[in-house]
Amino acid sequence: MKLADDPEVEEFRAQFAAFLDAHLPEEAEARERAGSSAHVPAWARRWQRTLFDACWLLPGQPPEYGGRNAGLPQQLAHLEELARRRIYHSFNPQGLGIIAASLLTFGTEEQKRRWAVPILRAEITAALGMSEPEAGSDLASLRTRAVADRDGFVVNGQKIWTSGAHDADVLLTFVRTDPEAPKHRGISALLIPTGAEGVVRRPFGSIAAEDDLDFNEVFLTDVRVPRGNLIGNVGEGWRVANGSLGHERTLLWLSYAERLEDLLRDAADAGAGQEWYATLRMDLTALRLLGYRQLGLDRDPAEISVLKLLGSEAVQSASLHALEAHGAEGLEHPKRTGPYHHMHHEHFISSWFERYARSFAGTIAGGTSEIQRNIIAERILGLPR
Amino acid sequence: MEFELDEEQQLLRRTVRETVAKVRSRPAGQQWDTYLRLGWLEAPPLELALILEELGYAADPTPFLATATWFAPLTGRLPEGSGTAVFDGVGRYVLDADRADEVALLTHRGVIVVRGTELAAERVPVLDPHLHAAHVGAEDLAAKVPDLALVGLAATCVGACRRVLDLVLDHVKQRVQFGRPLGSFQAVKHKAADMHVAIERARALTHFSALTIAEDDPRRADAAHMAKAAAGECQRLVFRHGLQLSGAMGFTWENELQYHLKRAQACDLLLGTASVHRKALLA
Repeated sequence: MKLADDPEVEEFRAQFAAFLDAHLPEEAEARERAGSSAHVPAWARRWQRTLFDACWLLPGQPPEYGGRNAGLPQQLAHLEELARRRIYHSFNPQGLGIIAASLLTFGTEEQKRRWAVPILRAEITAALGMSEPEAGSDLASLRTRAVADRDGFVVNGQKIWTSGAHDADVLLTFVRTDPEAPKHRGISALLIPTGAEGVVRRPFGSIAAEDDLDFNEVFLTDVRVPRGNLIGNVGEGWRVANGSLGHERTLLWLSYAERLEDLLRDAADAGAGQEWYATLRMDLTALRLLGYRQLGLDRDPAEISVLKLLGSEAVQSASLHALEAHGAEGLEHPKRTGPYHHMHHEHFISSWFERYARSFAGTIAGGTSEIQRNIIAERILGLPR
Repeated sequence: MEFELDEEQQLLRRTVRETVAKVRSRPAGQQWDTYLRLGWLEAPPLELALILEELGYAADPTPFLATATWFAPLTGRLPEGSGTAVFDGVGRYVLDADRADEVALLTHRGVIVVRGTELAAERVPVLDPHLHAAHVGAEDLAAKVPDLALVGLAATCVGACRRVLDLVLDHVKQRVQFGRPLGSFQAVKHKAADMHVAIERARALTHFSALTIAEDDPRRADAAHMAKAAAGECQRLVFRHGLQLSGAMGFTWENELQYHLKRAQACDLLLGTASVHRKALLA
């Protein structure tokens, strides 16, 4: 255990920092903001392509997929440098971090060429069809059916909370291919083009605004999906889901840390001097320390639940306190019509109420806080199911 | 930075736990001799934090904490035998003051070391039955507490909290109510998970604080306040959930839970509670 930075990681960080300083989009160029998590403005497409071409998009991948075979500490430094500049590598984070990543892990060469590379090059965008009306945190309960016929599958069912589906070109969809198998075993992963006949997407507003359209309901009626769109083998969907989420989750805590840091900075500007501020600074420091520890080898994956719980709840608490610190000013809720300034994240998330309301995404999405507590109790502390 | 215990540190932790368990039933004097012989008093800050965590886990009755983290950092040396220090302004609730061989007094004119016998120290009854604390008649004292003294209390507190959680886990895995082990109820699981997260948070900040002292990092003052405050916040949650989940059994003198709850509580109350250190962090 030591405080000093690893010189190899710092060299990597310095290289990337120099690249960013030379290529970061200009504010004037980057004013159009993303409408949903799969709507990528033209400037953001160019930006992602620039990172891909220079092998700075997903540093953990090999060069042909926009990376340089970097280890986890380097990947962390990469995300930290992006966060420090308040910009993302992709405005379609699920497309990149989950869908392209799972195609690269589980897909055939043909599938990588056909979908993964175009997603990485920001030529197409992707959304994740996981949750269903009766299967959220309990993903294994999903019911969307895919029946095999001679050259593919016929899919029927419904997805919900599908972020950005109305702007996406393809959906990575988890479907039940074997209703007789135990819950986890009968699931498969299919890539479904959103233009296929029988796919209907209905975006709906979030708590933040009626026209904040990111969530979708997706109705799938007799959708014919060719055999070549099956990712992994039939019945391997659970493995694909876990494998593709696993990578994303390892560094998930960093997004909470960055948000917490933003909130604390903004709350300090509002004159917050209360003791909660000290407690949240401790949360932030502990989150980073435990996150660094997580980079060590052989950590129990259940420890990611500790990071998710600590991080998401600290962000929520910080948002509430920041709202409170602003008093009546916190009521103000301007329409989110302002341009996107990647250097000034707060221009995008415009009201204090909205920041508080959105903090619940962290304690609900990707397994609720209640599920995380169950995982900690059962897998780390050994309590009976 | 690297934030993972290396193999030697993990081995140290196991050795300390085994040794402490072995000498537990012997008189305090023999325990003390064992710790001296093994050189634990001379351990660097992070290793010291690991040792103290284990001593806290075992509700250790020796003057190790005060000697290693109060006397030593003030005087820059180890005492002949055991030592403690007076730095809270009026010399109240000084750990081991009634039995220390040497006492460091932090005064406005600097540190003065006196023989324990030269000091009028009166032991006061405190809630933790294995903790010695005394009032001493010393005045004209400054109030600057060494960072290591805060880390020492924080590490001891983390150890005590971990022990409370372990005892609670044993209990809720075995105790059957309504036809199921208590630990299978979600309300119980969620309290246990929250205790675990609070302990991990406090432990990380304690290790970080010890590291900043070891490397004389500029963050050391802030880190020590964070460690002490986080340990205090942690013990508050662990005390509340730990006693609640142990049911009526935990509310008895016979159950060892009480020693660990009290050790944790004492570590929060000594040298400033969580609230005091949160305020210090804002200053």
